[in-house]
Amino acid sequence: MSMLLLLLMTINSCSVQPEPIQYGHDECSYCKMTIVDKAHSAQLVTKKGKQYKYDAVECLVWNINEFPEIAENSILLVADYQNPGNMLSAGQASYIISTGIKSPMGANLSAVEDEQKVDSLLQYFKGNKYKWEQLLEVLSE
Amino acid sequence: MNSLQAKVIEVCSSCSVKTIKEGIRQAADYDVVLVKKGTYREYNIEVRKRLIIRSQGRAVIDALTKGHVFQVFSDRVTIEGFHFKNVAHSYTKEYAAVLLFKSNHFKVLNNSFEKIFFGILVEKSKNGYIKGNTIRGIARDEAGSGNGIHLWHCENILVENNKISGMRDGIYLEFVEKSRILKNTSENNIRYGLHFMFSNDDEYHYNTFNNNGAGVAVMFSKRINMTKNLFYNNWGPSSYGVLLKEIYDARIEENIFRENTTGIYLEGSTRVDYKSNDFIKNGWAVKVVGSSYTNIFKNNNFLHNSFDVSYNSKINDNKFEGNYWSSYTGYDLNRDGIGDVPFRPVKLFSYVVNKTPETIVLLRSLFVDIINFSERVSPVFTPDDLSDEQPLMKPVK
Repeated sequence: MSMLLLLLMTINSCSVQPEPIQYGHDECSYCKMTIVDKAHSAQLVTKKGKQYKYDAVECLVWNINEFPEIAENSILLVADYQNPGNMLSAGQASYIISTGIKSPMGANLSAVEDEQKVDSLLQYFKGNKYKWEQLLEVLSE
Repeated sequence: MNSLQAKVIEVCSSCSVKTIKEGIRQAADYDVVLVKKGTYREYNIEVRKRLIIRSQGRAVIDALTKGHVFQVFSDRVTIEGFHFKNVAHSYTKEYAAVLLFKSNHFKVLNNSFEKIFFGILVEKSKNGYIKGNTIRGIARDEAGSGNGIHLWHCENILVENNKISGMRDGIYLEFVEKSRILKNTSENNIRYGLHFMFSNDDEYHYNTFNNNGAGVAVMFSKRINMTKNLFYNNWGPSSYGVLLKEIYDARIEENIFRENTTGIYLEGSTRVDYKSNDFIKNGWAVKVVGSSYTNIFKNNNFLHNSFDVSYNSKINDNKFEGNYWSSYTGYDLNRDGIGDVPFRPVKLFSYVVNKTPETIVLLRSLFVDIINFSERVSPVFTPDDLSDEQPLMKPVK
C-alpha cells in the first residue's frame, strides 16, 4: 500500500501540466504580489514540472531575462487580455504595450490571441505591437 | 445675470430639478447642487464645473451596473454624503463610484459604498481630501473586484478616517507622492489592506489593518514613514503584517504587529529604521530574504513569537541593538537593565523550516531545542555577527 502511494506521488510530481492559478491566493514568483488580475497573469512550467506563476506578463519576461535557464523547454503561458482567465501560449500570442491599458507592474503590457486582435486594439489605444521574442528585448532595459 | 453669491440648486423627486445630471447642467462654477433624500438611478454623471455636490439625508445613487456614478474632470469639486451602489464591473475597464481625473483640490467626504467595482479612483490629481467614507465590497474569493481607494499619479492627497472592507486592495497607491494615509481601518480585503507601488515620500499613521490577504505591501518605493499602525490577524501561507520589497530609506516606528503569520517580510530593503515596535505572537516576527542592507532594529519588543528573526543567507549587514526578546535567557549581574550575554535571534530551526516548510510540526520538540541550543553555542549556519549585544531585561515602555 505504501509502495503504491509512493509510486502515485512520484507519478504526480512528474506531471508538467500547468496548475491553474488560484487568483487571490497564489503569489507572484517574481515580485511576491498576490495574483488577482485575470487579464494580465502569466505562468511557466519547467521541463521538470516546477510551477512558476506571475501576476503580470512583465514579471514573466523579467524573470526569464534574469534567469534564462528557467525558460529552456518550459511551458510559457500568458493571460488573454480579451478573454480573462484564459491562457495563451506565450510564443504564439501577440502583445500590445499601451499607456491606455494598465498592467499590474507598470509595463502597460497585455497579451492577446493574434496580430489582428492587437491591430483592432490599436484603433482605440495608442501603442505598439510586439511578438514574444521582441518583448524579451524591449523589456530588458 | 452675474451673481457673486453661490446659488443652491435643489434636486428631489418633487423639486423642479429631478435628476442630478440636470442639477449639474443648470449649475455654474462654485454653485451647490443639493440632492435631497431619495433614490436616483443615474450613471456616468459628468462634472466639468467647480461644484459642491452634497446630499442631504444620504441620497442613494444607483448606477444600475451600467457605468461609473460620478466622473469628475474639473478642479475644486466636493462630493459629500451620498450612498453609491451598483457600479458596473469589467475586467478591462476600471469603473468607479467616484472617478476623478486631472482634478485638483477635490474633496470626497462621508459617502458610503456598496456593490461597487472601484470605490474612489483618482488619476493625475493633486491636493485632494478623502475623508470619512465607508466602502464595503462583497467579493471574498474572486479576483474580479476593484480597489476601495485607488490613487494613480497623484500628489499631496490626504486619506483620513475611512473604513474599507471586502475589496481587492483597501487602499492602493501607484506613482503617488507626498501623500498621507491616516486613521483608516482596512480589513478583510482579498489582497492588501494598503498597497504602495512606485510611490515616494508618503506616510501612513494610526491605521488598523486586520485580516487582509497580506496586511500592507510597500514595493519599489522610497522614503515611506510608517508609524503607530496596528497590523493584526493576517494569517496564511503568503500573509504578512508588512511586505517590504525594494524599499529604501523608510522608517517603521511604534507599530504593533500582533498574530500575523509573518510580522514583517523584507526583501531587497535597505536603510530602514525599525524602532519601538511591538511584535507579539507572530509566526515569524521578522523574515529577512535576499539582499537587505543597513537596516537597524532598535528598542523593539519581541514577545512570544515562534521565530523572532529568520534569515535565508549567511551574510548580515543589519543591526539589532537594545531590543527586548521574550525568549532571552541571559542574566544581568551588574543590574544595568542590559543582559550581560548577547542574544542571537536567529534560530537554526528557522533555516530548516525555510528549506522544508513541513518540518514545522517539529517546532516544539526536544530535538529542535537541542539543535537550536547547539547552534547558539557555536554558530555554523546562522550569520555569526547577527546578535543583539545589548538585549534588554525588561520590555520597552
